[in-house]
Amino acid sequence: MNKLPLLLDCDTGVDDAVAILFTKYLNTLELVAVTTVAGNVEVEHTTRNTLQVLELAQMTHVPVYMGADKPLLGETVTAHHVHGRNGLNEIELPLPKRAAETMPAWDAIYAYAKKSPGELTVVAVGPLTNLALAIAKYKELPGLLKRIVLMGGAAVGGNVTPCAEFNVYADPEAADMVFTCGAPVYMCGLDVTMRAYVTAQELDEIAALGSKQAVFARDVMQGILKFYSAYKLGGVAFHDPVTVLYADDESYFQTDQAGVRVETKGKLTRGKTVTDLYSDKQMEHNASVVTNLDRDVFLRRVFEIMAQYGA
Amino acid sequence: MSKKIPVILDGDPGHDDAIAWVLAAASPMLDIKAVTSVCGNQTIEKTTYNAGRIMALTGLTVPLAMGRVKPLVADAIIAPTVHGNSGLDGPTLPEPAAEPVPQDACTLMAQILEASEEPVVLIPTGPLTNVATLLLLYPHLKHKIRHIYLMGGGIDFGNWTPAAEFNILVDPEAADVVFRSGVPITMAGLDVTEQALVFPEDFERIRALNNPVATVVAEWLDFFYGFHRSIGYPGAPVHDAVAVAALIRPEIMTMVDLYVAVELTGDYCRGATVGDKLGVLKKPANARVIMGIDRKAFVDLLAEAAAYYGTYHSGKEA
Repeated sequence: MNKLPLLLDCDTGVDDAVAILFTKYLNTLELVAVTTVAGNVEVEHTTRNTLQVLELAQMTHVPVYMGADKPLLGETVTAHHVHGRNGLNEIELPLPKRAAETMPAWDAIYAYAKKSPGELTVVAVGPLTNLALAIAKYKELPGLLKRIVLMGGAAVGGNVTPCAEFNVYADPEAADMVFTCGAPVYMCGLDVTMRAYVTAQELDEIAALGSKQAVFARDVMQGILKFYSAYKLGGVAFHDPVTVLYADDESYFQTDQAGVRVETKGKLTRGKTVTDLYSDKQMEHNASVVTNLDRDVFLRRVFEIMAQYGA
Repeated sequence: MSKKIPVILDGDPGHDDAIAWVLAAASPMLDIKAVTSVCGNQTIEKTTYNAGRIMALTGLTVPLAMGRVKPLVADAIIAPTVHGNSGLDGPTLPEPAAEPVPQDACTLMAQILEASEEPVVLIPTGPLTNVATLLLLYPHLKHKIRHIYLMGGGIDFGNWTPAAEFNILVDPEAADVVFRSGVPITMAGLDVTEQALVFPEDFERIRALNNPVATVVAEWLDFFYGFHRSIGYPGAPVHDAVAVAALIRPEIMTMVDLYVAVELTGDYCRGATVGDKLGVLKKPANARVIMGIDRKAFVDLLAEAAAYYGTYHSGKEA
C-alpha cells in the first residue's frame, strides 16, 4: 500500500517520545521529517530527545529540523515538573550520533508540503509556534497541506488551567493562527486524549513485549502516572501517541464539525479553545473536533505497533 | 412543621423564572418576603410588569420592587428569541394586582435583611445586578444573607456564547462581585439545568391538573419549548426552577464544591464561569455547583407545585 507522507512537529516530551515510536509502524502514513519546538522543555532538549528517540526506533534516516525556541508573543511556559529536567523523566538515552539539519522547522514544513502538494499530513503535538511561523511566511502553505492533526485544546475543561490545555496555553496566538489558516484542522484535545489512557498494568504488559523500545515506552510513561491521580482516570493519558493513531486511522474515533477559536485575551481563560459544540451559538465551522474513541481498538493498536519492534 | 425559610425572589421573568416562582410560591417550606425584578430576558419595564402578572396569577401579595435599568457596567442584552417580545409570551395573564413599591430592588432587599431576625435566602434567577448592588452598597448586611441559590453560568459550556451562559454574560461584573462575596452560594448552572428537561408528555401531565395556574404553566412550557425544539432539544430546560429546587429538594441533585471565578475580559470568554475542577488554582471553594439532577423527580416536583394551586384556587375563588 502506498503510504502518504507524515511530518511530525513535537516538543519531546515523554508522550511525544512514544508518539515517535508509533510513527514507525503506521498503516497509512510514512514519517518523512520531524520538526521540534519549545514546549514541555526547551527546544535544545526537545531536539536532542527527538534525535535520541529516533535512534532508539532505528529511524535515523528521518531528518530533524529544529524550530522555535519561544512562543510568538507570550511568556515561555514549560512543563519540567511533568517531563523532568531533560524532558524524558531523567531517562538517559545514548547521546545522538547526528545533529539536526540546518534548515529551520518552518522552512522544512513548507519544503515537504511543496514536495507533495495535497498529500502531506502534519501532526503537531506541541505548541503550534512552528506551524504559525510557516503559515506567516508562506501564504500558500495551507492550500498545499492535506491536513493538520493537532494534539491540543479541549472543548470542555483544561489541564494547565481550569480551561486551557498545555500546548494551546503555551502559544495561544499561534494556535489561533493554525485554527483559522484554511487547511483542514483536526483537533485531538483532552476530550479524546483523556479517554486514551493506559493503566499501570497495561504499561507493564507493553514492557513485557520485550524490546528495548517497549521497555522505554513503559518507563517513560510510568514517570508521569502520578500526575493523573487528580483526573481519576486509572491510568496515564497517551495524548500525543493517540493523535498519531488518529491521523493514521480515524475509523474508531468520533469526530464532529465545529467552530473553534482560541481565547488569547481572557484573564482567566487565555489559551482556551472556544468550541461551539455544546452551546446554542453556532460559529463558522473551521475544525473537526475529535470527541471520543473506542478504547479497546486503541489499546489493540498500541500493542500491535509496539509488538512490531520485536522481543 | 419546622420554621419557614425567609426568601427573596429576584429574577427577569422569563418563562423559567415564572415557573421557578410558581414552584417557590407553592412550597410550604418558604416564606417569600419580596419579589425583585432585574433586566435580562427583557427590559426592566417588561420584566417588572411580568413579575406583577406572575404574582397576581399565583396569589403572591408581597412587595415587588423594580431593579436597575441596566447591568452594573455592561450594556443590556435581551433575549426576545427565547421569551418573546413581552418577555413572557404565550398565555394571557391577569394584570398585576398592585404597583411596584417606590424603593428600588436593592433598597427593598436591604430593608428586608435589616428587619429580618434571621438571615434571608436570596434566589436570583436573572443577571446578578441587584444582588451585586446590594453587596456593594450594604456590605454590613452580608451576614444577613443566609445563602444565595442562583441560576447562572456553566462550568463546562455556555449557551449564549460557547463559553458563557446568558445571566452571567449579561452582567459579568455583578457575577464577579457575587462569587467573590464570601456568601455561601449554590450554583445551578447549565451543567445541571440542561439536564432539567421537561418533555412534551410532562406538559400534558401538568395541563391535565386543570387549575388556572397549571394551565398557564403548561402553556408557558409550550411556548418556551418552541424555541428549544427549533435548536434540537427533546424538552424544555426549566433552568431557573432548579435554583428553587436546590433549596427545597436538594436530595434529588448531585453537587460539588468548587472554586468558581468569572471571566470579565477576552474576545470569546467574557462571562464564562471558570470552575477549577482539578484544583490547579489552589484556591478554596466558593460555590457549591450542581452537576446532576434526577429529571423525573424534578418533573414530579413541578407537577406537585402546579397541583397545589388547585387546592389554593378552589378554596379562594371557586
